[in-house]
Amino acid sequence: MSDTVKLSLRQFTILILLYSVGTTILVIPAPLAADARQDAWLAAIAGWLLGLVVVALYVSLARLFPGMTFTAFLELTFGKWLGKLLALPFIFFSFIGSSIVLYYLGNFMTTEIMPETPIEAFALLFAALLVMGLRLGLEVLARTAEILFPWFILLFTVLALFLTPEIDSQKVLPILEFGMKPIIWPALNFACTASLPLYVFLMVYPVSFQHKKKAGNAFFTGVLIGGIFVVIVTFLSITILGVELSAENLYPSYALAKKINIGNFIQRVEILMAGMWFLTIFFKAAFYAYGFITGIAQLCGCKDYRPLVLPCGMIIVASSFVVYPSVAAMSEFESTVYIPFAITVGFLLPLLIYMAGLVKKRINHQELQGAGTDD
Amino acid sequence: MIRKLSALISVLLLLVLLTGCWSRRELNELGIAVGIGVDKADKGYRVTVQIVSPGEIVSGKSSGNRTPVTVYEATAETIFEAIRKITTKSSREVYLAHLRVLIIGEQLAREGMEKALDHFSRDHEVRTDYFVIVAKDTTASNVLKVLTPIEKIPANNLYLSLNSSEKLWAPTATITLDELISDFVSEGKSPVLSAVSVIGGKAGHSQKNIENISPTGYLKYSGLAVLQGGKLVGYLNEKESKGYSYITDRVQNTVGLASCPNGGKLALEVISSKTKVKGKVVNDQPQIQIEVKTEENVGEVECELDLTKRETIAELEQLANQKVASIIKTTVKKVQNDYKSDIFGFGEAIHRADPAAWRQLKENWHEVFPKVDVIVNVHTEIRRIGTVANSFQNERKE
Repeated sequence: MSDTVKLSLRQFTILILLYSVGTTILVIPAPLAADARQDAWLAAIAGWLLGLVVVALYVSLARLFPGMTFTAFLELTFGKWLGKLLALPFIFFSFIGSSIVLYYLGNFMTTEIMPETPIEAFALLFAALLVMGLRLGLEVLARTAEILFPWFILLFTVLALFLTPEIDSQKVLPILEFGMKPIIWPALNFACTASLPLYVFLMVYPVSFQHKKKAGNAFFTGVLIGGIFVVIVTFLSITILGVELSAENLYPSYALAKKINIGNFIQRVEILMAGMWFLTIFFKAAFYAYGFITGIAQLCGCKDYRPLVLPCGMIIVASSFVVYPSVAAMSEFESTVYIPFAITVGFLLPLLIYMAGLVKKRINHQELQGAGTDD
Repeated sequence: MIRKLSALISVLLLLVLLTGCWSRRELNELGIAVGIGVDKADKGYRVTVQIVSPGEIVSGKSSGNRTPVTVYEATAETIFEAIRKITTKSSREVYLAHLRVLIIGEQLAREGMEKALDHFSRDHEVRTDYFVIVAKDTTASNVLKVLTPIEKIPANNLYLSLNSSEKLWAPTATITLDELISDFVSEGKSPVLSAVSVIGGKAGHSQKNIENISPTGYLKYSGLAVLQGGKLVGYLNEKESKGYSYITDRVQNTVGLASCPNGGKLALEVISSKTKVKGKVVNDQPQIQIEVKTEENVGEVECELDLTKRETIAELEQLANQKVASIIKTTVKKVQNDYKSDIFGFGEAIHRADPAAWRQLKENWHEVFPKVDVIVNVHTEIRRIGTVANSFQNERKE
């Protein structure tokens, strides 16, 4: 594929950061508060650290195939047909992921901001942007991220600063009321939403950063910093909205932004804050879609993924309308199916593949040595 | 050719965007609701909406013979239906984003208001920055029908008056829907709401009322309404409401009366107050410690006092301590004995301090609460005595 793509480490860090913040920041306080109660912020921290384990796996996995995409590596290691078969779950996950993100955006807009506008309008407009970005390629996306990143930081800082007067730190007490146990599930949930989807970067990162150790560090840095934002939002949500309202709200962060009121002057600014989420959601959707489209391209043996962008984009839009029939289906899927699904595809499978890859590498190594001594 | 054709098509596509916003709503099509009241009806609810009459509030242009706001009512089984039903009377769609007050009629409050609140928390148009108020001894509809002087919009009057009385006088509480809901669902705290009463009966319903220099019909906040299990169980009078404000650390500024050591009266201005409520479980018996720290100024003296002496100030500080402590104690006693509703959040304090004990207590907190031991400690500092030292009343006698 496009071997010419060169990303700077800085761009890569920003991409990882925005991607892991993605939709997480908008919705995660609700499930965390529902399960971990006032310890939701601790669960967020636990999930954030758990995410680092996942990243460690991805980075060491990527070390096995410098200069290749993940799917190409699968075909090389497991043979053409088994490799393609193993690539399928990843492609499917990316496909479902991108549809879900598109649905999220549309649902957020129709629930909170413009209830009379059909959800199709948002999905189409946003998908048009996605298709444009993907056709222009990774480098353009990366540069966009670099340009938009300061705006994200600005909006986030404004949000956090303007909300500090509302904090009631007593609301986090008592800490660890029921011990560590209720934290585990929400922490997994956090890692599944924020970190496991990062596997799509296996399609990007080994290709763009051959033999570069620093790229692994950039991966870690992105996830570390991205996690901080989400932990802060969860903390604010618990200390300002309280456990019950955080858990009940579909979009707790938006409810938080509505609370901003500085001297009756700076108020009703929540829509500006929503700009922050459009930013991060765009990159989440873009890289899910990138994982899906490049995966398909590899599957079909195409040299370039670009011709597939438009048709695949259309499929994603269409599936975003049907991926969840209702909001209730969304919350049911997320609290039951999504977590085991994400762990299987995003963690267990890569782990198996990693081990298989290691074994294969050793065998190859021995064969080479064996061949050497035979001669 | 193809180039031209595609250009033409793009231009035509642009036309689609020119039709304007999808969900646009023009200002002249909206009836801006500033106050909404919910009362109990035979079947369901009676919803009263106070809508701004735009022509009458523009400065300098009002015709003068129409009221600045209009009130519409509709009855339906659910609140949402009732709000929509109003369009059969009103020329404009009811727009709730600028809501200032939500008033609950006394009867509905007594029978349970929780069910009536869902729509307000679910609807995307309604924000969370308006106050929820109980109409004391009357219906919400009567409250919304009273015209007020100075503020042309009565709902604004209610909103601002509640805001300033909380800041300067203390026995009122500005409760927003969010706070109300989180108190409803909390296991260790029951909600209160400010209560408003209508003075002068129907006199306030007509424009004539505000033509008087001292209107005969007006609205007045009178203490707090205590809720238990979603139902109104009674009211706190002004003094008890102040005690509530002290305990829940809502006092920003207020004036307290004290009697001088040798007869006469004295008013102290509380300029800052900070309360800490700590819970503790001693021998399975929950205990609450209330620590109040206030800073006060001397505001009015009607007796002989030598304010230039340090001993006098120390004496006054003692007086102020006792006064505030007694207000708090009477309030706690009244609520414990009469209402049995934990409006102070003592349960939450216990929960924070001793989660294990709380798990056992919370099952029958309702019965435990009236027996909770409450210890009050007040520490007052008087720093300033105003612009004069001793009162001129002392001088005259010499």
